[in-house]
Amino acid sequence: MTCFNKKYVSLMNKVLDDEATKSERDELFAHLATCENCRRHFQELKQSTELLNQLVHPQLPIDFTKNVLEQLPAEKRHAIRKWTSRHPFIAAAAVCALPMSLIVIAAGRQNMVQGKTDRDRFILLKAPENRL
Amino acid sequence: MDQKEKRLIKKVKKGDHQAFAELVDRYKNSVYTICLRMVGSREEAEDLSQEAFIRAYNHISQFDSDRNFSTWIFRIATNLSIDSLRRKKPSVSLDAEIPGTEGLALNTILPGGETPPDEQIVRDETEKWIQHEIGELPEKYRSAVILKYIEDLSLKEISEIMNIPVGTVKTRVHRGRELLRKNMKASRGEEDDML
Repeated sequence: MTCFNKKYVSLMNKVLDDEATKSERDELFAHLATCENCRRHFQELKQSTELLNQLVHPQLPIDFTKNVLEQLPAEKRHAIRKWTSRHPFIAAAAVCALPMSLIVIAAGRQNMVQGKTDRDRFILLKAPENRL
Repeated sequence: MDQKEKRLIKKVKKGDHQAFAELVDRYKNSVYTICLRMVGSREEAEDLSQEAFIRAYNHISQFDSDRNFSTWIFRIATNLSIDSLRRKKPSVSLDAEIPGTEGLALNTILPGGETPPDEQIVRDETEKWIQHEIGELPEKYRSAVILKYIEDLSLKEISEIMNIPVGTVKTRVHRGRELLRKNMKASRGEEDDML
């Protein structure tokens, strides 16, 4: 059973919230010194929240973070985008390199084919002489 | 929010998993504590914490970098816990009595193996009692009391997390505190009567 004066309940809340002024504190404690019910009530309020503070903070398993990461959408696409934004010239060069190399290869082949036919023609032309 | 965290968020927004891992490591234990004290079961709290981080990652584009990441992730964790309480799917708690048996709990019949140190929580009677009393609080008082007294957050931070005015937070903390006092006193009284 508490003292039915609401004023003291609200003072208790202010004190517990750390929002009471010095005079409000003094007023409450002066009352608590004379009113056993309020004193007990205040004590109980303080105790119950202090108990909450004593609860242990349990730790998660070590692989918790790893497990979370495994469930995220894949990073790959982003990784490429990130890399290209950091190295725009290399990326541009890489993009250009593909058609360029195709051209170079194609040109090389054409030369080779050209060379071969020239050589063939030469051999064909030369062949009879060799046989003689 | 400190500069390091801002940089991390920037990286996460570009899809950097490693940067996100750093954020997870920073806040995982607080997130877990909130979930655990809200729902009261370690397995469920672990799942909820995981879900909270995955959601945070998937919606990181909606996160305003000028705000605190902690506020945001705590809000996600609190909301997920409340959702899970509302769904009220009966979860299997290891120390809950199996229906139809006299005081026989799952953890007494499951093969033991090496007892993880966390199991001490289950054993600790006081801890169990406090958790039970928290669980007796209506969810809106419960979240306010947990954030205030277990996470040690200010009323302003709590108001941002719960998206309600500071005055409302204060009222909830007061009511939660009073209800906790009353319930704890009552259950202690019962104990005294039994002695």
